[in-house]
Amino acid sequence: MPLLSVRDLVIEFETENGVVRAVDTISFDVYEGDTIGLVGESGCGKTVTGLSILGLIPSPPGRIVSGSITIMGRELVGLNDSELREIRGRDISMIFQEPMTALNPVFTVGNQMTDVLMRHRGLTRRQARNAAIEMLAKVGLPVPAKRIDEYPHQLSGGMRQRVMIAMALSCGPKLLIADEPTTALDVTTQAQVLEQISKLQAEFQMAVVLITHDLGIVAETCRRAIVMYCGHIVENAAIEPLFANPRHPYTKGLLDSIPRIRSEKLEELPIIPGRVPDLLHLPAGCRFADRCVQADTQCREQSPLLTSSGTSGDLIACHHPYAPIHTGQIS
Amino acid sequence: MNSVSIKPVRRESLWSKAAYKFRRDRIGMASFVFVMLYMLVALGVTFEWWASDWSDVSGGKWEAASALHWFGTNLIGQDIFSRAIYSTKTAFEVGLVVAFIATGLGAVLGAISGFFSSSWIDEILLWVMGVLDSIPFYLFVGAIVFAMQDNPYAMHIAMISTFWTSAGRLVRGEVIKLRGLEYVEAAHAIGVPELTIIFRHILPNTTHILLVQATITFVAAIKSEVILSFLGLGVKDGMSWGLMIAESTQEVLAGFFNNFLAASLLMFGLVMAFNMFADALQDALDPRKVA
Amino acid sequence: MNARDHTALLEVRDLKKYFPVYGGIFQRTVAQVRAVDGVSFSINKGRTLGLVGESGCGKSTLGRAILRLHEPTSGQVLVDGQDILGLRRNQLVENRRRLQIIFQDPFASLSPRRTVAQIIREPLDVHRIGTSANRECRIIELLADVGMGAEVRDRYPHEFSGGQRQRIGIARALALDPDFIVADEPVSALDVSVQSQVLNLIAELKRKRGIAFLFISHDLAVIQHVSDEIGVMYLGRIVEQAAVNDLYARPRHPYTQVLMSAIPVPDPTTKRSRIILEGDVPSPMHPPNGCPFHTRCVQAMAVCKTTVPPIVNVGDAANPHRVSCHLYN
Repeated sequence: MPLLSVRDLVIEFETENGVVRAVDTISFDVYEGDTIGLVGESGCGKTVTGLSILGLIPSPPGRIVSGSITIMGRELVGLNDSELREIRGRDISMIFQEPMTALNPVFTVGNQMTDVLMRHRGLTRRQARNAAIEMLAKVGLPVPAKRIDEYPHQLSGGMRQRVMIAMALSCGPKLLIADEPTTALDVTTQAQVLEQISKLQAEFQMAVVLITHDLGIVAETCRRAIVMYCGHIVENAAIEPLFANPRHPYTKGLLDSIPRIRSEKLEELPIIPGRVPDLLHLPAGCRFADRCVQADTQCREQSPLLTSSGTSGDLIACHHPYAPIHTGQIS
Repeated sequence: MNSVSIKPVRRESLWSKAAYKFRRDRIGMASFVFVMLYMLVALGVTFEWWASDWSDVSGGKWEAASALHWFGTNLIGQDIFSRAIYSTKTAFEVGLVVAFIATGLGAVLGAISGFFSSSWIDEILLWVMGVLDSIPFYLFVGAIVFAMQDNPYAMHIAMISTFWTSAGRLVRGEVIKLRGLEYVEAAHAIGVPELTIIFRHILPNTTHILLVQATITFVAAIKSEVILSFLGLGVKDGMSWGLMIAESTQEVLAGFFNNFLAASLLMFGLVMAFNMFADALQDALDPRKVA
Repeated sequence: MNARDHTALLEVRDLKKYFPVYGGIFQRTVAQVRAVDGVSFSINKGRTLGLVGESGCGKSTLGRAILRLHEPTSGQVLVDGQDILGLRRNQLVENRRRLQIIFQDPFASLSPRRTVAQIIREPLDVHRIGTSANRECRIIELLADVGMGAEVRDRYPHEFSGGQRQRIGIARALALDPDFIVADEPVSALDVSVQSQVLNLIAELKRKRGIAFLFISHDLAVIQHVSDEIGVMYLGRIVEQAAVNDLYARPRHPYTQVLMSAIPVPDPTTKRSRIILEGDVPSPMHPPNGCPFHTRCVQAMAVCKTTVPPIVNVGDAANPHRVSCHLYN
């Protein structure tokens, strides 16, 4: 049974110009210990999806219109605030992109961590403090006993992110949602933080949903990737087949066009022509049609559904997906 | 050749969004209508459509409210209602002149101060603002009015010379913030002269702040005028609510409240409506509520 | 130094930019942030130097200091042999025509209350190029050069997407027909699928107009496509500089090696051993003695702690590959 199961989730936002469907009927599963990358560009709905799992969508203007999100069989959609608060931190945790704004600047690190520990694990202040120091050491923060009494602004970006991870993991959740955790960090710090998350994941036997636009990170850390575009899931595949043999034109276009270090310089970089459509004025058929090299009338009229692509567990939403290179065995 | 399809992403600016939000704010719209009514009254006085007979003696002493005199008459027999209506013009005149000039002056000086912040220009302007703010308002205004005794604009000048500092500081803060933005750096890189940068690129981006500040100054000017006229330092020719209230102090002791009520009610109405209008305006322009 | 430096369009010599930190009751200078700490390089006409480094290394400050948007603390910036740092403000305006800049943030780099036409026209007006009618034509030409049609001229910046705004910013930079453009992280704030579009545009402009670029980025993958030569910065100094192929094939400086290994590659089949750095970047207010990288370098030796390594050419005269590291001393 999957740890987390999302079925037909629809999330809408009310804006001054009308209602925007940020997430339009998406479904996916996360199993225990899995590492899933939720990939896409700005506006695709990946962050909104992540927030909705923990009931963090600001409402108004947003709301979950329909669909279900279950964790270990328990339905999350429709729970009230106090029920959600029990789950947050204890069963599911989330870390965010900007550690400076996620940590309260007027409280020390220790204060914020012991708060969480005392609430969820019922520890005394002293016990909580010790547990916090242990946790900070686990995330690789040097001299944790001293750092615990410092304020967020006294720490560097990388350290703050580690503190956030420590806070998120302090109660041993089964699922960690990481929303662009390294985008605001330098490449070298990013490497440190990703390494940390991997180590802790193994130790705590956690599942991780990594929300990012960086396919490089996905390739290195995830075992499965879900590609989103304009509120839809367009491809859901295991990592190696996805990179070796992307079936959806958007996935292929993305992989080709992202800047990467090449052994030979190219005359011109491959691109995906055009740009992401406005969510208020979505085309009738497939949302990627007007940027797709192989779109035809069917594509423009009928939005493709997410269906199995043949290989176990892999899904694709396209009328004319690229053919699989290997049938069956993918090494 | 790299070509992109040019469809406008969104045709909204700060102002169009603000207008949209403001129209949906009922209290804001109601107060706006109210203020417009007052403005219409003031205009009517200026064009002599009504209340031009405010100084005529048309009744007996302290007559009660009647069909002829809606608020009765004052000590000399002048129609209180006409006088109150005429005072609306005075209020608007004082309010608009002071608000406009004080905000404008504050904007220019504040922008220069902020753009050259930490230099000697800034230090001097800050010092001047500090000094002006430290002097007790009514003493200062009283001194200026007294010194400029026969000048009909003494009160206006006095008010402008102290009210500009609030706009000045606000604009200074905003300019310091805007100055670091890349489009200002771009202007430097192109070689645009500094004063031009201030007036072409920076000040236009503070107009939303200035608008709100102007409305606040308008209200402050009207309220100050009432007190100054009450103290005899205000309006000299003509009539104002302050003068009416000053007149009424004796009358109230004798049990005649009409003068006092007429002036106070009208003033209260305008100040209240304008304040609510200013609040609604500020909400509509709030950039955090504008995506 | 470069054997052809007498033809160098831009030459920077020992440029330093320190920012004072004020403290105490009397606001005296208590410390200096050494943002740029002695940088030298030269760029020939039509060539691109890519400058790569992480946040706080001083690359953005360097770009702005060359254009005198920040006044350098010391050093020289020679444009065709003439030191522009000595020029007074009014003499500098002439040079502004030749040196331009493109910014990172597409949302903050265009004046929000001005139309596209006004934004692109401003440099032409300031420098009085052509007649009023000419300028209008020029605006249309420039828009076409960046792949945008004439119909956008009366629109405002907020009506465009990030990628489109960057194009407008590029059109503005091209208006004066500059010889040299500082591109400060021009694609970092854009969506990945749009980055390549803008990179292609920049490469094309470079080819067609022979503009020299100083291309600043934190992303080694982005910089490879547009650069002829690459400089790696750390804590205000250039620690390695080489032709682009040489640098990627054989990075010499330990920091460059770390940087290369840290970049996630979008290919799950490559197994790389990553070099994970310990600790954090030291503060530019108190840079370490000796080599700035020694506090985090796994190969640090005793001499690294005390002496700044001199710049050594481990390539040859035709293809210099300069490193500042005691391992090659």
